[in-house]
Amino acid sequence: MPLLNVLLTAAPAAASSASNYFPIGLQLLFAIGFVATMMVGTHLLGPKRRTGDKLENFASGIESHGDARQPMAIKYFLVAILFVLFDVEVIFFYPYAVNFRGLGWSGFWSVLMFVGFFAVGFFYIIKKGALQWED
Amino acid sequence: MNAIILSAIWGVVLMFCSVLIKNKGVYRHIAALGLLVILAGNIHETYHGSFFNIDTHEMLRFSRFGLFFNTILLAATLLYVLLSGRDVEKAGGYVAEYFTLIFFVLCGASILTSFNTLLMLFIGIEILSIPLYILTGSDKRNLRSNEAALKYFLMGAFSTGILLMGIALVYGGTGSFMLEVPRSAIMGGYKGVSFLEVTGLLFLLVAMSFKVSAAPFHFWTPDVYDGAPSVFTSFMATIVKAAAFAAFLKLFEARVGDTSAAVDWKLLLSIIIVSTLLIGNVTAVFQQSVKRMLAYSSIAQAGFMLFAVFSLNDVAKEGLLLYATAYSLATIGVFAVLIKMKDVTFEGFNGLARKNPVLAATTTICLLSLAGIPLTAGFFAKFSMLSAVIKTGTYTWLVVVAVLFAAVSAYYYFRVIQAMYFKEGDAQTEEVTGGFKVLLIAVAALVILFGVQPQALLNWFYF
Amino acid sequence: MGILQFLFWLLSAVALTGAIMVLASKNPVHSVLWLIVVFFAISGHYVLLNAQFLAVVNLIVYAGAIMVLFLFVIMLMNLNTVIETRKNLWMKAAGIISGGILFLIMISVVRSSADMVSRTAQLKEGSIGLIETLGKVLFTQYVVPFEISSVLFLSAMVGAVVIGKKD
Repeated sequence: MPLLNVLLTAAPAAASSASNYFPIGLQLLFAIGFVATMMVGTHLLGPKRRTGDKLENFASGIESHGDARQPMAIKYFLVAILFVLFDVEVIFFYPYAVNFRGLGWSGFWSVLMFVGFFAVGFFYIIKKGALQWED
Repeated sequence: MNAIILSAIWGVVLMFCSVLIKNKGVYRHIAALGLLVILAGNIHETYHGSFFNIDTHEMLRFSRFGLFFNTILLAATLLYVLLSGRDVEKAGGYVAEYFTLIFFVLCGASILTSFNTLLMLFIGIEILSIPLYILTGSDKRNLRSNEAALKYFLMGAFSTGILLMGIALVYGGTGSFMLEVPRSAIMGGYKGVSFLEVTGLLFLLVAMSFKVSAAPFHFWTPDVYDGAPSVFTSFMATIVKAAAFAAFLKLFEARVGDTSAAVDWKLLLSIIIVSTLLIGNVTAVFQQSVKRMLAYSSIAQAGFMLFAVFSLNDVAKEGLLLYATAYSLATIGVFAVLIKMKDVTFEGFNGLARKNPVLAATTTICLLSLAGIPLTAGFFAKFSMLSAVIKTGTYTWLVVVAVLFAAVSAYYYFRVIQAMYFKEGDAQTEEVTGGFKVLLIAVAALVILFGVQPQALLNWFYF
Repeated sequence: MGILQFLFWLLSAVALTGAIMVLASKNPVHSVLWLIVVFFAISGHYVLLNAQFLAVVNLIVYAGAIMVLFLFVIMLMNLNTVIETRKNLWMKAAGIISGGILFLIMISVVRSSADMVSRTAQLKEGSIGLIETLGKVLFTQYVVPFEISSVLFLSAMVGAVVIGKKD
């Protein structure tokens, strides 16, 4: 399989230049272009019959009443903000994982200390019941 | 290093305590114990070196000045916890968390006294600010506290943005985060003044003025200090402000010299100082609430502390140490009494001298120190700031302006004294314990001690 | 004009348009969506600078997580009726003047920076933003700020519980 061979040999160089991201950019462009074309296409080509019943939101035949946009509970936000904090923690693992062998024990201890701080925070959050849904 | 690590660890300890110990009265003792430990660790580091042998890659540099500043901040916090710890318990339902956040603020403050790169400056400022936003909003059911927290957060985030932009520009100009970059090492071997660096420093000037609430970047201060629970206002106005000034001084001491060919920093700072003194003092005169008056007076006091950043000489450094001590002591004392008052307007203080002579007398001494009356610590603090300006040999008219505004400040401080001693009224206070009174007397005694013997503090510094 | 320059200008135009639309949109949800466009454009810039790790992190953290938080805030505040805040004409004028002055200063700084002449941005190559280099620097030279930043995270967690938890 010559094609696969080419890909394998090209792999180490792939990480070092922005131009290697050109295919991804192209794919992104195609994806967006496809969706946009399809949406515009159906809009232009499809038949239009604008009656009052057709323009109404579909709610399984039940008449809709009120506004769907109610103020939501604060606990969603609490969970979301805690998620972001741990999300950022995980981001720090990627550069460590790549350099895992090279950094040796000193890198390990520094990451362990960082994770330790987060573990303390996690313990605190759990014990405080911040993630308890029912109250 | 001791202060940074120990205060972070003690914050974590208090986090555990909040989960494991249910008795709210214990937290304040644990906090006081922790402060003693950190204080001891910091003093040990001042004379014998740190417990921790950590290679910071020159990110932090622990100078005698910075460590001594830490000692002042920690001692002031200890005093604050002893005096107002009981009132922290009344601020809301998360007592241990409030103390945790105070310890994290101290961690940030001790980074700010010893940072050596702009990166650490940024992290220090963030660790200092974020717990404060939370403490400001800790009175969750009070709309004014909510408003203050939101205002503080939005304004603070905006100024942090400016700070980051400044750091980015300085980095772009010099290619290094280090405070002191050897000119030869600047990118491309360029010899002249880098305009990117100058613009970055201007941004940093704006951001730091914002953090120390110097005019025209002071507008958040009155609302935030007024809206926050009084206990935390006391902390914000003293320890946090002093730490921010230490960082301001350190930053400008290192960076201004190289760029003074392009920008007249002294002119810029003198404009900031005069407007800070003007706005702080004149607006304070018209306040009806003592708490709000103290907020404006803290702006005015920031104007005086800015003289240290203006002068950037040895006298200024000593002066800032003295000023931070005198101002923190007096403000913590006044606020400790203010928290106990049922009514925080000037009328609320009417006739306090008859009802509670100890409180009135100690408040008077603290207010006299804030006004800079001789024989109090505030006098020598102001005096050394002004002598630092005279030593620079330029802009000596600033001294005249400063003395004039100090006279204005005496007016509104004396209004409180007048209310306490010469007006008939029924000042309502909460129950105060004997220990509280003893501590207040100790604060007043320290204020007078440093007023008579300012060398007592500075000799220790030179030891 | 090579493809790199073309991409640079395109991404810059997208980022600037997005940023202006964030401010100009009347509907706060639209503002957030435009902000996502800005973040994507900036991620594109990171890729051009050969900082792929930063590009991905920018997408995961900012365009992903933080934007969800922004949307939550808008939903919490229940802003479905567009409330036009009263804008003072003087404040508008002051904003325009001070912003314009800042803009002029920035332009003149860039133009007069003698030390910046003949220096070009390192597009397409360079290893500063690569995950491997970044990791090495982060865990050796910058390990102290890295550890200390965990205090920041802890205070954020405590703050989330203190402010956000129902009691």
